[in-house]
Amino acid sequence: MERILTRNVDKPEALTLSGYEALGGYQALRKAVSSMTPDAVTDEVKKSGLRGRGGAGFPCGLKWSFMPKEVDPKRPHYFLINADESEPGTFKDRLLMEKDPHLVLEGSLLGAYAIRAKAVYIYIRGEFVHEAKVLERAVAEAYARNYAGANILGSGWSCDLVVHRGAGAYICGEETALMSSLEGNRGYPRLKPPFPAVSGVWGCPTTINNVETVANVPFIIERGADWYLTVGKAPKNTGPKLYCLSGHVKRPGVYEAPLGLPMKELIYELGGGMLHGDRPLKAVIPGGSSVPVLRAEDCDVDLDFDALAAKGTMLGSAGVMVMDSSTCMVAAMARIAHFYHHESCGQCTPCREGCGWLERVLNRIEAGNGMQQDLDLLLSVSNNIIGNTICALGDAAAMPAISFVTKFRDEFQHHIDHRSCLTGTLLLQGVR
Amino acid sequence: MPKLVIDGEEIDVSAGTTILQAAQARGREIPHYCYHKGLSMAGNCRMCLVEVEKAPKLVIGCYTPVAEGMVVHTQSAKVKQARSAMMEFFLVNHPLDCPICDQAGECRLQEYAVEHGTGISRYTESKLALSKAVDIGPHVMLDQERCIQCSRCIRFCDEITKTGELAFFQRGERSQIGIFPGKRLDNAYSGNVVDLCPVGALTLKEFRFKTRVWYLRNTPTICAGCARGCNVVVSVGQQQTMMTTRGQLDDRVKRIVPRVNEEVNAHWICDDGRMSYAKEQGAVRLQAARIGGENASYDAAVAAAAAKLANAARAGKLGVIASPRTLCEDLYAWREVVLRLGSAVFGARSLVSGDNDALLVRADKGANARGAAWIFGASSGEDAVLAAVAKGSVTTLLVLGDTLDPADTLALPVAAKGKVEVIVAGPFASGAAADAAVAIPSASWSEADGTYVNFEGRAQRVRRCHLPLGEARPGWRIAADVAASAGAPLPEWVEASDVLRALSAGVKEFAGVTAESMGLLGVAAPAAAGV
Amino acid sequence: MFGSEFEHEVDAIVARYPQPKAALLPVLWEVQKAKGAIDLEAEQWVASRLGVAPSHVHGCVTFYSMYKQKPLGRHHIQLCTTLSCMLRGSDELMRHLEHKLGIKEGETTPDGKFSLVRVECLGSCGTAPMFQLNDTYYENLTIESVDRLLASLD
Repeated sequence: MERILTRNVDKPEALTLSGYEALGGYQALRKAVSSMTPDAVTDEVKKSGLRGRGGAGFPCGLKWSFMPKEVDPKRPHYFLINADESEPGTFKDRLLMEKDPHLVLEGSLLGAYAIRAKAVYIYIRGEFVHEAKVLERAVAEAYARNYAGANILGSGWSCDLVVHRGAGAYICGEETALMSSLEGNRGYPRLKPPFPAVSGVWGCPTTINNVETVANVPFIIERGADWYLTVGKAPKNTGPKLYCLSGHVKRPGVYEAPLGLPMKELIYELGGGMLHGDRPLKAVIPGGSSVPVLRAEDCDVDLDFDALAAKGTMLGSAGVMVMDSSTCMVAAMARIAHFYHHESCGQCTPCREGCGWLERVLNRIEAGNGMQQDLDLLLSVSNNIIGNTICALGDAAAMPAISFVTKFRDEFQHHIDHRSCLTGTLLLQGVR
Repeated sequence: MPKLVIDGEEIDVSAGTTILQAAQARGREIPHYCYHKGLSMAGNCRMCLVEVEKAPKLVIGCYTPVAEGMVVHTQSAKVKQARSAMMEFFLVNHPLDCPICDQAGECRLQEYAVEHGTGISRYTESKLALSKAVDIGPHVMLDQERCIQCSRCIRFCDEITKTGELAFFQRGERSQIGIFPGKRLDNAYSGNVVDLCPVGALTLKEFRFKTRVWYLRNTPTICAGCARGCNVVVSVGQQQTMMTTRGQLDDRVKRIVPRVNEEVNAHWICDDGRMSYAKEQGAVRLQAARIGGENASYDAAVAAAAAKLANAARAGKLGVIASPRTLCEDLYAWREVVLRLGSAVFGARSLVSGDNDALLVRADKGANARGAAWIFGASSGEDAVLAAVAKGSVTTLLVLGDTLDPADTLALPVAAKGKVEVIVAGPFASGAAADAAVAIPSASWSEADGTYVNFEGRAQRVRRCHLPLGEARPGWRIAADVAASAGAPLPEWVEASDVLRALSAGVKEFAGVTAESMGLLGVAAPAAAGV
Repeated sequence: MFGSEFEHEVDAIVARYPQPKAALLPVLWEVQKAKGAIDLEAEQWVASRLGVAPSHVHGCVTFYSMYKQKPLGRHHIQLCTTLSCMLRGSDELMRHLEHKLGIKEGETTPDGKFSLVRVECLGSCGTAPMFQLNDTYYENLTIESVDRLLASLD
């Protein structure tokens, strides 16, 4: 399999602009700026079938086409790169930013060109201190080479490139919260409409894309959408994908494969199989902790958007978290619930009050103090959150809870009935 | 004009109307906390979720604009279930403070819990403990536990006063309203956040623990603090105290809150106006009539005053100075008495201090300065009258004292003392009343019906909120009694509206101004169009 | 409170945005770098420099978990305990660190050398368990590698 997105990650020379160019980089940007119109760039991306790699899988070219085709000078366009990567189980954007920063910049500039942006802001999570420094060095190089700044490559198009660090808030990965945060506010998601392409940051037309998503664009422009359609599963699951494998496997890490890699292949071949020979696979969360869990017997599935949706879960951020037979599913879910409780912004009632409630009940069950009505209570509270919140964090907290309780009900029931764990783990082991 | 169906009723509304506003216009109240007509959108409480056919999930009614052909259900099973779910969430951390919380009886959490809740909460875990009874400003107390994070108070300080004192601190379940450590919520409109708060998280210090709201009798009236004439509701206590027998009422003003009038004060009042009743309550009232500093009967005082006024008016030696907070009816009645008896130099005092602010406060503190100018004549003023006193062309002065603030009651300049005989009709014992030849107690601002004209020429109804103290009577009643005693009776007037009718016929600026035309929101007097 | 060099740095940051308020997060980082933490006086300085209310600044400082209002340990250990790290032993590591440092999670050693907090997913799940010490990620941790690292710090 040809490595596309990760072709440079083992090549230290890619870290410098000249090295990146020597490896073939920035051809796409030069081609686009000199011989394509912005709309032609968008059309090519549309044709390619590229879907967002941040979690929602929204068609990228379609999103770009929502932007106004002409720029009102009072309302410049902005391109925001969502580098807030905080979804548990996800660490692919970090790899690209750290090891192939110019790929990220080139993709960002191509997107900025397509949507006629005045500036690109890369919103990177505050914890990625090293990666932000790498990006900033690359940005300086890009300016020096006139790939960013005024009159890029003599095209008449000017665009700034700014690295903007967050400060520790998962919710800022939600696109409207990202905009609130970038504007200098608490990271509160916003009501939609208006949609960002109509009124985003500073009231201006805005597009937000994930790091991995834009990293695909140079390849689409350089090699063409027709080529891109041959990678993965056309028409709706095209392109290369970075999969993040973690948990109870021998070789956790980022693996690139065409979209649609079979999960078992990822775990057993690329990932080296289960961490302990005597502990078989029990469960997998395929797309970051916000998506429903799969039991081992449901893991014969391709890791693409549609195949996973058909199984009642999602590709999401492709954070594949593998759990073996030693895992207490109650403890795992309690830990996931803690995450959402900690990260809820607190703006709207069901999420603010419901996430804490879910965690407290799960902690009680995990510790052996569950009550008979707790399982139905968890399902009811979760269902009361879903669909009723301003943003998807509420759903992200509730859907895992429903899936864990539904698919592993016997384990939860055992904790309640017998105040002990089917896996034999001692209770109250968790860091609470 | 989009046509939509709400709960089976087809309605037609203007474009841009939200589902919540459309429902309200048809008398269907959709429960909500964070939405407020005078503030920007928040959409965070999620209480107003309603069902729209063909939409994938419930939508918030406060934010969703109506669309042609939209079919909305506000009472379906799904909506009711969502409401009870939201109520259950609200009560997860909310403390059971009802027995000690001022908001009880006018609390939306209570009302919606009864109307939309399940009656029982399934939450059995521990509740967050946050700070209670935090003094955040001269008028406002904060209880962080009770807060439901609707953000109305924050939006008010950001958008209306633009002072930005309040903000959310922390994150998630631990979010709480706060003020920058060391700073105070001391803008001139701070009390409005108490009205805005749907629960008891923000309470007014001056009202805390005073009484339960169901013991209050509420009267819509007009603030007398300045020439803006903000529309208010005055609440008077009715609580029977433990030590009295039945029928002994508290009957004093307990608080003032704003009333909505988009033409005058929108949804707000200033803190000075909100606390204005305290000035009246803190003062020594003239409870009985006096002649020469000695208590006398009302009738004797009226007779004494009548004789002096008649003499002075006939001789052209009478001056009349009125507080600009005197009701139109009183001003008109006294003017008629004097003109029947002879003539006088008329003047309304000027109570201008400070500046107009950017919101409601007017430099002119005379709530009825405009009305006084129309009734006494535009060129009248206290300086003209006092000058006449100084010259000796006025030897008898009728002072219509301030009805709100004893500090604003006229005190005669030292130079005038001894040169002029003073007759006072006013509520307070201070000022000119202290050394008056005759002092007759008149009703204070909260004790009589009447009319005020604000600085824009809007005539608005002032209402009696409680019975006058002691022997005090409405000013026009005293004027009528004096006229009768002086042998120049005024027409038979039984109530203030009788006087208003005469005023409306007799003073051209008041043509068409009646109790009905003013209603609850006032009416622009015809003369207003001119200026 | 801040020297002219710092103020120039702030000016350069503000220039990158169409509105000064947008510089809030980066400026708060500069303050934390310069002073070790963001105290109330600094918040007021930032508020006035960017034209926002002090309450707004305080609201942001308390929203974002990486800003500190008081300095913590010289070596600030932020241990990830979210699911993937939990599956690979973060909880045992936390207990070990608490035992080794003599403090509980959330505390700072009396000599100010170490502070220990539990944090959420750091985006390093492939090298779990791991922690961030000040700005640096330390990955694929074992009890032994942690002990060696702690011993090497002064």
